[in-house]
Amino acid sequence: MRPLRALRWVAWTAFAAGILVAVVAVLTALPAYAQDAAQEPAYRAFPVIGSRLAVWAVAQLHLNFAAFILGVPIFAVIIEIIGWRTRDARYDWLSHELVKLTFAAFSTTALLGALLLFLFVGYYPKFWTYMTSIFFPTYWIYALLFFAETFTVYLWYYGWDWLSGSKKWIHVGLGVLSNLLGTSILVVANSWVTFMMSPAGITESGALKGSVWGAINNFTWMPINIHRLIANIVFGGTIAAAYAAFRFLNATTDEERARYDWMGYVGNFVALSAFIVLPFAGYWLGREIYAFNQTMGITMMGGFMSWLWIIQAILIGILFLGSNYYLWLGMERIPGSERYRKYVPYMLTILAIGFMVWATPHSLIVTLDEARAMGGTHHPFLGFFGVMSAKNTAVNLMILTTFLSYVLYRRANRLSIKPWVLTGMAIQWGAFFVAAAIVVFYGVYGYFVESIVRIGFSVYQVGAVLGAIALVMTIDVPMFRGARSTGAIRWGRIPARSQYVLILLAVTFTWLMGLMGFARSGIRQYWHVYGVMRDTSVDAVTPALGYAANVITIVTAVFFALVMFIFWLGGLSERGKAGAHGLPAPAISGGSEDDR
Amino acid sequence: MHVPVGLKVGAFSLLVMGSYTYFANSIPQIESRPPEELSLEGGTVTPAQLVKAGEQIFKTKGTCEVCHKIGEKGMRAPDLAGVGGRAAKRKPGVSAKQYLIESLLDPGAYLVEGYPNIMPRVDKPPIGLNRSELWAIAAFLESLGGTVDVTLDDIPKTAGAAAAGGAPAELKLPGDPKAGEAVFAGKGACIACHKAGKVGAAQVGPDLSQIAKIQTPEYIMGKILNPAALGTVAGYPKGVMPPMFGQTLTAKEYVDLVAFLLTLK
Ligand code: HEC
Ligand code: HEC
Repeated sequence: MRPLRALRWVAWTAFAAGILVAVVAVLTALPAYAQDAAQEPAYRAFPVIGSRLAVWAVAQLHLNFAAFILGVPIFAVIIEIIGWRTRDARYDWLSHELVKLTFAAFSTTALLGALLLFLFVGYYPKFWTYMTSIFFPTYWIYALLFFAETFTVYLWYYGWDWLSGSKKWIHVGLGVLSNLLGTSILVVANSWVTFMMSPAGITESGALKGSVWGAINNFTWMPINIHRLIANIVFGGTIAAAYAAFRFLNATTDEERARYDWMGYVGNFVALSAFIVLPFAGYWLGREIYAFNQTMGITMMGGFMSWLWIIQAILIGILFLGSNYYLWLGMERIPGSERYRKYVPYMLTILAIGFMVWATPHSLIVTLDEARAMGGTHHPFLGFFGVMSAKNTAVNLMILTTFLSYVLYRRANRLSIKPWVLTGMAIQWGAFFVAAAIVVFYGVYGYFVESIVRIGFSVYQVGAVLGAIALVMTIDVPMFRGARSTGAIRWGRIPARSQYVLILLAVTFTWLMGLMGFARSGIRQYWHVYGVMRDTSVDAVTPALGYAANVITIVTAVFFALVMFIFWLGGLSERGKAGAHGLPAPAISGGSEDDR
Repeated sequence: MHVPVGLKVGAFSLLVMGSYTYFANSIPQIESRPPEELSLEGGTVTPAQLVKAGEQIFKTKGTCEVCHKIGEKGMRAPDLAGVGGRAAKRKPGVSAKQYLIESLLDPGAYLVEGYPNIMPRVDKPPIGLNRSELWAIAAFLESLGGTVDVTLDDIPKTAGAAAAGGAPAELKLPGDPKAGEAVFAGKGACIACHKAGKVGAAQVGPDLSQIAKIQTPEYIMGKILNPAALGTVAGYPKGVMPPMFGQTLTAKEYVDLVAFLLTLK
């Protein structure tokens, strides 16, 4: 058998097995549901590692894979559309390459999902029965969507050559459709997790009050939908970039290096664009948690989880610094970029300060002695920077700076020939400074008002930043249309350490996802369903961060090992064939005038 | 020597994650433990102990400290120092006791000036204090600048229902009935006057073999601590049941004993 056929066969069989397992699991769960709940134990113990760890590991792994097969196609279809509209074969090739990766991960995702279901049904029967009593109708929707998505993705993948040329629009339509279906799956699954966190639509005793919609549409459902969707795009981008980095480092020819350098760049670009809006979605989610339950919100930000946000801030800081560093390194392959290098130290300073402010703890739990030494639970000076106002200001400035890096990168090898270039640039710089001024103004003003008013300020800050981004881009695009080039981008001529930065970004982001999963789940503390169903198992204790970090690291390492294996499978099909599908991989070396 | 890229990348990734893990392990490790129902750890149960228990609940299960500080004006919620005294003047015609209980069960009914209506009903999930916990915490609040005069009967019977997450209002004590039986027959010397199922045969006091069926947990708990306050069982002499168990039994013995009595149905 040829490798690709073998791969296809394995994928199909594994997938079919996954679905079968899932169906059987659901069916076996049903009689249990009908039975008198009292006859069943509330918990069973998973051997050796315990039920919680088993569910945790499988859930995180499943989520990693799910994010992969949802995020990468979103990214792929965007790229396919770019390729279709610009008639640039590179994009079409890249898009196909990405769907191929997704495709190989499909069956693993389904299997992990089935395994997770097994664990719930087997080890948390009472909990599962309760969830089923609320969400049963959605299980069917989920299964149907999964089938529909699988078939669309199959059509999308295998129809690549068939639906090309004049039929390309049908093909793009399939890509869009599979993404819509994929997103719907995410949204259904989100209704379950968010219900556990912020239950709604139920009576005091926990029974469904009206229709299941009331339970689905709970406080945190929409914010999590948006947050996870954006995060998935970031994730897909960083993983694609890491894949490219891996291939780049392994490349033997200049042509290959050029191709994968470019792919890494595109992946990082998409990831970064989505990443910039992620904090805003995060704030919205945080606000909804406070709106649902003040105590939960405060426990989350100031209680036993307060250190978690410091780690989160450090990770996000690393992501920002890494992305910027990658862009700056990338400038080295662009003739003409010398003009902009002088800005780098300033940008680095802003990022570093922002990073430090953001990572300053607000109200940590301190021991009595520490508190006495510090003169209160808030440090007299540093405590000042730990308040939300300072953090919002810092993160907004970091976003602005990252955007500036990108703008400079974009114009690195271009000289505008428009007569209004000076005015245009003046307005752009003006927009940057006005936005920064607004951010700082509200940041400082925030110290003088009530917290309720202050929360509103973050909206102005975000508005200013987004407004500046929109304005700068509206000017930038026409300003550099038909610009004179100072030389083509020399794809592939980038130091190898830049590729390690891409890998750093992918690893950090995946780890961050694991950490945020712990936050989302840990915030319920000793409740399965917050305020409705208590966790009375031996695992009701929510572990400390060190333990959580150990679990996250192990699971993330397993995830990457599996992904490496899948990448390796992906590489198999190319052996003995020039291109991934009929077409040979496009040559990128020496590159085009376009910066992407 | 040529090191394969896969190995280098793998080592690099592990190094990155390893440093995050190291950092996460180097900071203070705080677990979130599920609260115990009625925490009377250490010492004997007296009115002062009740206040102590209330303070415990205030800091742990009640999660009051998330918002309230004592002796420090908080941003989120009023300072509770002196609230036991101030409570009597909050609402005309409402006693300190009544006001404090109302502020726990219906926090929105009277809003302290300058603060938003964010305090949750503390007898409802997720805090979900039960009646005796509410009693203890009310006593604790009274002790902050006032006199402790709250009794369990002041706490409405309906309060704390469904506290344990949908379960009917039942008092779950962490006590061990077996150990309680030993207290009954041993240190407590209840056996000198009472019969309880197979244990004992004395007729001085009532037969307790079905006490959990005919009496509420609150009554049983109260009767042991302060027999006179809960009236005298008809047909039995007054003042015979010793009043000093609150002092002589440790918290653990008390809780175990109650757990034992609650099995007598
Ligand atoms: C989410 C924050 C929050 C939590 C948790 C909370 N409170 Fe409050 N509490 C407030 C706020 C805000 C006020 C002032 C507004 C009002 O009167 O409702 C208040 C008022 C009070 C008052 C009235 C004070 C006065 O001066 O009249 C008492 C007593 C009180 N709380 C006790 C408690 C106790 C006991 C707990 C724990 C079981 C608790 N609170 C938990 C926010 C909270
Ligand atoms: C010296 C004899 C004596 C001892 C010792 C004694 N009791 Fe009693 N107890 C009585 C008498 C007499 C009554 C009934 C009069 C009353 O209600 O005060 C009573 C009543 C009770 C009741 C109420 C029964 C009802 O039907 O309402 C309970 C409960 C109780 N005792 C528990 C205990 C426990 C627990 C101990 C051991 C820690 C104990 N008693 C030790 C004499 C005693």
